[in-house]
Amino acid sequence: MSPLLTMRGIVKQFPGVRALDGVDLDVEAGEVHCLLGQNGAGKSTLIKVLAGAHRPDAGEITFDGQPVAFASPQAADQAGIATIYQELDLVPGLSVAENVVLGHEPARLGFTRPRDAEERARELLRRLGHPEIPPRRELGRLSAAGQQVVSMARALARDARLIVMDEPSAVLDPEEVQNLFRVIRELTADGVAIVYISHRLEEIRQIGDRVTVLKDGRTVARNLPGRDTPTAEVIRLMTGRSIEYVFPARAAEPRPDVVLEVDGLTRPGEFADVSFTVRSGEVVGLAGLVGSGRSEILETVYGARRATAGSVRVHGRALRPGSVPSAVRARMGLCPEERKSQGLLLAEPVSRNVSLPALRRFARAGFLGRDAELSAVGTVTAQLDVRPADPTRPVRTLSGGNQQKVVLARWLLQGCDVLLLDEPTRGVDVGARTEIYALIRRLADSGVAVVMVSSEVPEVLGLSDRVLVVREGRVVRTAPSADLDESRVLDLVMEGTAHG
Amino acid sequence: MPAVDEQSRVEKAAREAAPSANPLARLLDSAPARNLGLVAVLVLLGIVGVSTADTFLTRSNLLTILTSASVIGVITVGVTMVIIGGGIDLSVGKVMALASVWSTTVATQSYGPVVMVFCALAVGAGCGLVNGLLIAYGRVVPFIVTLAMLISAQGLAEQISGRRSQIVTDPTIAAIANTRLLGIPLLVYIFAAVVAVGWVVLNRTTFGRRTFAIGGNPEAARLAGLDVRRHTVALYVVSGLCGGIAAIMISSLTTTGSSTHGTLYELDAIAAVIIGGTLLTGGRGTLIGSILGVLVFTTITNLFVLNNLATEVQNIAKGAIIVAAVLIQSRARRSWFSTG
Amino acid sequence: MSSSPLPDLGRRSVLLGALGLGAGAALSACTSNTPAAPAGSVAAPTAGANTASGPAVTIGFSAPAADHGWIAAIANNAKAQAAQYSDVTFEAVNPTNDITQQIAAVETLINKKVNALVLLPNDGSQLTSTGRKAMAAGIPVINLDRIFDTPLAYRTWIGGDNYGMGVSAGTYVAEQLKAKGVANPIIGEIAGIDSLPLTQARSKGFADALASYGFSVGPRQAADFTAQGGQRVAANLLQAAPKLDALWNHDDDQGIGVLAAINQAGRNEFFMVGGAGSANAMRDIKADNTVLKATVTYSPTMASSAIALARLVAQDKGMSDLVEKEVPTSITLNSATITKENVDTYLPLGFES
Repeated sequence: MSPLLTMRGIVKQFPGVRALDGVDLDVEAGEVHCLLGQNGAGKSTLIKVLAGAHRPDAGEITFDGQPVAFASPQAADQAGIATIYQELDLVPGLSVAENVVLGHEPARLGFTRPRDAEERARELLRRLGHPEIPPRRELGRLSAAGQQVVSMARALARDARLIVMDEPSAVLDPEEVQNLFRVIRELTADGVAIVYISHRLEEIRQIGDRVTVLKDGRTVARNLPGRDTPTAEVIRLMTGRSIEYVFPARAAEPRPDVVLEVDGLTRPGEFADVSFTVRSGEVVGLAGLVGSGRSEILETVYGARRATAGSVRVHGRALRPGSVPSAVRARMGLCPEERKSQGLLLAEPVSRNVSLPALRRFARAGFLGRDAELSAVGTVTAQLDVRPADPTRPVRTLSGGNQQKVVLARWLLQGCDVLLLDEPTRGVDVGARTEIYALIRRLADSGVAVVMVSSEVPEVLGLSDRVLVVREGRVVRTAPSADLDESRVLDLVMEGTAHG
Repeated sequence: MPAVDEQSRVEKAAREAAPSANPLARLLDSAPARNLGLVAVLVLLGIVGVSTADTFLTRSNLLTILTSASVIGVITVGVTMVIIGGGIDLSVGKVMALASVWSTTVATQSYGPVVMVFCALAVGAGCGLVNGLLIAYGRVVPFIVTLAMLISAQGLAEQISGRRSQIVTDPTIAAIANTRLLGIPLLVYIFAAVVAVGWVVLNRTTFGRRTFAIGGNPEAARLAGLDVRRHTVALYVVSGLCGGIAAIMISSLTTTGSSTHGTLYELDAIAAVIIGGTLLTGGRGTLIGSILGVLVFTTITNLFVLNNLATEVQNIAKGAIIVAAVLIQSRARRSWFSTG
Repeated sequence: MSSSPLPDLGRRSVLLGALGLGAGAALSACTSNTPAAPAGSVAAPTAGANTASGPAVTIGFSAPAADHGWIAAIANNAKAQAAQYSDVTFEAVNPTNDITQQIAAVETLINKKVNALVLLPNDGSQLTSTGRKAMAAGIPVINLDRIFDTPLAYRTWIGGDNYGMGVSAGTYVAEQLKAKGVANPIIGEIAGIDSLPLTQARSKGFADALASYGFSVGPRQAADFTAQGGQRVAANLLQAAPKLDALWNHDDDQGIGVLAAINQAGRNEFFMVGGAGSANAMRDIKADNTVLKATVTYSPTMASSAIALARLVAQDKGMSDLVEKEVPTSITLNSATITKENVDTYLPLGFES
C-alpha cells in the first residue's frame, strides 16, 4: 500500500536559520504517526509546510498519490489536511458552533444557517465524548481543554483525511488525554491518518504506531515502531543522550529559617485556606490537575491576584495584598505559566527581558547605564548557558527552553529569596530540562526558597523536598517527597479524599 | 554548491541585521534608517518643492515649516509615548485648547506670564492625571476615557471662554512667537527641546524602558514587578503636560486662547505616529519617526500654499501619503530586515 | 533606599496631594473672564409709534451653537434686543450644530404656538420644510441670514450680503492701490471655508470688484474661521508671496491669527482688510498700528433687527419710516467699509471675537 502522505527532502530556509534541511516523512492511512524532536528540531515548521502555511524552498510532497504544492492553508484544507495547532487558532468571541464550522458555514443563498451549524457541532462533540459542551457557548468561556476539544471537532467537521495534532495533550489532564486517545483510535479505525506531536514519550508509547525523529531540521530516524522502540533509543536519537530526566542530587538539608509563610490564603471560587511555609534552601512542589487552583495559588502568593483572606509573609514581614511590586521588593520572583503571554517581551532583545525588574540598579537619576546593564545581563545569561549567547537577539527567536532560561535569568539577576516557578519545563525540550532542573537545585542550595508547580508528577517528586497535593482548591496532603511515589500522587490529585 | 552560497548569504544578512554587529549595521538600524520610507517621502516633497516654488528652499520658508510643525510636534511627543506605552490619547488637541483658554482668561492674565505658563501646564497635566487615573485605576478603556476628555475639555473651554477668542494681552507670552535666537524662532527651540527630552526619556531612562515593556506586554511587565498602573498614569500626565506646553505655544502663535484650537490635532498626531512606524498596539516605536511624520504633513501644507492650491486637495494628498509611507516602510523593512 | 520605601512614598503622595490642591485652588480662580463680555448690540429704538408697548408676544429663537464669535454675537444680540421690549417674551431653544436637533427644537417652538419665530438655520435647505410647517401653523418666520429654499417658508428674510462684502473689500483695496499708483499689484486673499457658498460669494464679489479696476487676485488660500487656521495659512502664504501690496482676510476672528502670523514674519509692506467687523478689528483699525487698515461688515446686529422685525410682524405693525403698512419680505444689509475715519461710529456695534 502506498502511503497517504509522502514528504521528501523538504527544505525551508528562514533568514539566518535553515529550519528544515531535507526532511522525509511517510504517513499511511489509518495510522498514528508520531513526530518527535527537541524544540527547534523543525517539527512546527514541518507541519506548517504540510498545512500550506509555509512554502518549502525545496522538496516534494505527495498526498494520496498526487504531487501537491499547497499555496495556502485553504488549499491544504480542501485536500483534506486539518491541523490543530499548539496555539489554538480559534476565535474566542464566536460560539462553539461557529468555530466548528468557521470557513465552511452551512448556508443557503448567502444566509448562514445557525441551526444546522449547531446540530453539526453537537453531533461532533458527542462523538468526541464531550456532549456537555453547549454549541452556543462563547468559545472564550471554555477551559483550555474544552477549546482543544472544539479544535478537534473543527478538524472532524472538515472530514479531514489527515489530522496534524501539535502537542494536543499539553493543556489536558490525564483523564482528558485518555479521552483524546479514544477519539484518535476511532478516527484511525475509519482510515484517518494522524500526525501526533508530543513531548511526552509515554503517550507515544501508548498511542503511536510509527515514529519519525527530527533533529536539527533533518530526519534522523524514520518509521520506528512506536510501541517497541526503547525510550532510551528515542532519546538518544533526539539528543544524543540516553536518559530521560536527570534530577540533581539534593545537597544538604534545607536550613531551619523559614523564609516564606503563607497563612489561610483564600480566593473564593479558586482556592481556600491554603497555608504552608518554605524554608531557606527548600523546594516545595505543588502537584495538582489543570484547574485545581495551583497556578492561582502561586499568583496570589506573588500578589498578581488579590487574596480575600489570609496573609503572605517573607522573612516575617507581611506583603501588601495584591501588590506585585511589594512582593518583588521583598525579593520574590515568579516564572509564570504562560511564558509568552505572561513572561516575555517577545519583540525585545534578551537583555531587556532579563534586566526588567532590576532596571533601577543600572540607573543613576533615572538614566540607564547601558554598558553596565549589558555586561550584567551577559554574566547571568552565560551562567545559564542561554543560546544563542548574544543578549541583543530578540527573545522571540529563541527556543522554548532558552526563553525559559531568560525568565529565570531575570530573577537570578534581580536576586531572589523566594522563587515561584509555574510549569518551569512546559514546552522545554529534554536537554534544556536537565539544565533547568540543575539550576533550580543550585538556587535552592544557595538558600533560595523555591515553590514549584508542575503537571508532571515525576518532575515534582524529583525536584521537591516537600510536596503539597492540591485538589479543587484545597491542599489535601503535605508530605516529604521521599514518602510519595508517582502513582500515589496521581491517586491523590484525582481522588484525594479516598486516601486522605 | 548553490545551497551553501544561499546559506552563507543568509547568514551574512542575519549578521548584518543584528544590531551592534558593525558600524554599517548600527547605521542601518538607526532611527532614520528605520524610517527610510518617511525620509524618502520628505526628500520627494523637497524635490517637488524646489522644482515648483522658488521660495521653498529659502531659510525663512524652512523656518516657517518648522514653526508650523512646532505645536503639533510637541503634542506628538506626548502621544508617541502614550502609544508606545500601549495606550491612546484622543484628548490632546482639546486639552491644549482648554489649557490655552484657561491660561488666557482676563483673570489669569492679570497675574502675569509666570502664572499663565503654570496654569497651562497645570491644566494639561491635570487633564492627563484624570485620564490616567480613570484608565489605570478605573479600568476604563483609554479610547473611551480620552474621547470623553476630548468632549468635556472642549465643553469646558467653551464654557470658560464663552466661545470667544481670548486675546493674549500679556506682552511676554505674546512675544514668545516673535522672538528669535540666532535667527531661529524660540518656538522651534521649544519644539526641539521637547523632542530631545522625549527622546532621552524614551531611550536612555528606566522610565522609557518601562514604557516599552508595558506597551509590549503589560502582563509580563506587571509580573516582572513593574507598577504598571502608576506608570500608565505618569504617561498620560506627560501627554497632558505636552498639551500644556503646546497651549502656551499656540496662544503665543495666534495671540489668542480659544476653544477652537487643536481641532483634530489628535488625528494629526496619531497619523504622524503611525507613519512614523510606531505600533498602535504599543511596545515598539520611535519618536524620530513621529517627528518625521509631523514634518511630512507640515511640508505638504506649505507646498500647497506655495503653489496656491486648494486645501481640499491637500487632505487627499495627506491620506495618500499616510498609506504610501506605511507601505514603503513595511516593504523596506521586509526586504532589508526580513526577520523584523 | 530599599530600607523604607513605604514612608518615602507616603511623603511623596502627601506633597503631590498638597501641590494638587494648591494648583486646583489657583486654577479655579483663573476661569473668570468678567471684564470682557459686553452686552449685545441693541438697535436704538426709533421715536415712532412702534416703540410704544403693544400686545404681549412671544418670540421663539433658534440658532446654531456658537463655534465662532459672530454666531455668539447673533445669540447675544437677539437676547439683548428682546430684553428692550416690555411686550416681548423671548423663548430661545438650546443652540445646536446638529440639523435634526435644530429641527426638533424648532418644532417644540411651533407646538408652543409662539407668536413669531426667528430662525438662523444650520443649513437653509435642510430647515426649509420646518419653516414651511411653522408658516402653515400661522407662525410668521423671520429667516435670519442663511436663506430658505422658498419664500413660502418665511415671512421676512433679513441677512447680510456676502457678494456685496467682497465687492466692498475689493473696491476699497483697488481704490487704495490706485491712489498709491501701484501698477500690477499683488493682492492676496485668505478666505474662510471654501466649500461654503458664502465664502464662494465673497470671493466672487472680491474678484469682480478688482476686475473692474483691471486687477486680479494673486495668492489665495482658505483657512477655517479659527485663529489657529488663520495663523497657519497666513504664515505659509507669506512665504509664497515675498512681496504683497494688499491682503483681504474674509473673517476678523481668523484675522487675529492672520495678524499674528504677519507680525511674526515681520512684514508690513502691504495693508490688510478684514471682514465681518469685530470689535477687536475695529480697535486695531482705530489704533492704526498694524497692517489692518479697514474691515468690511457682515454685522451680527442683523439678529437685533430680526427680533425687532419679529415683534412688528407679530403685532401686525409696519416699519414706521416706510409708507407700507407691513414689514417688507426681504431686507439685505449693506456691507459697510470701516476705516480709521469712520470707526468710531461702528465701534459700539462691533462684536467681541
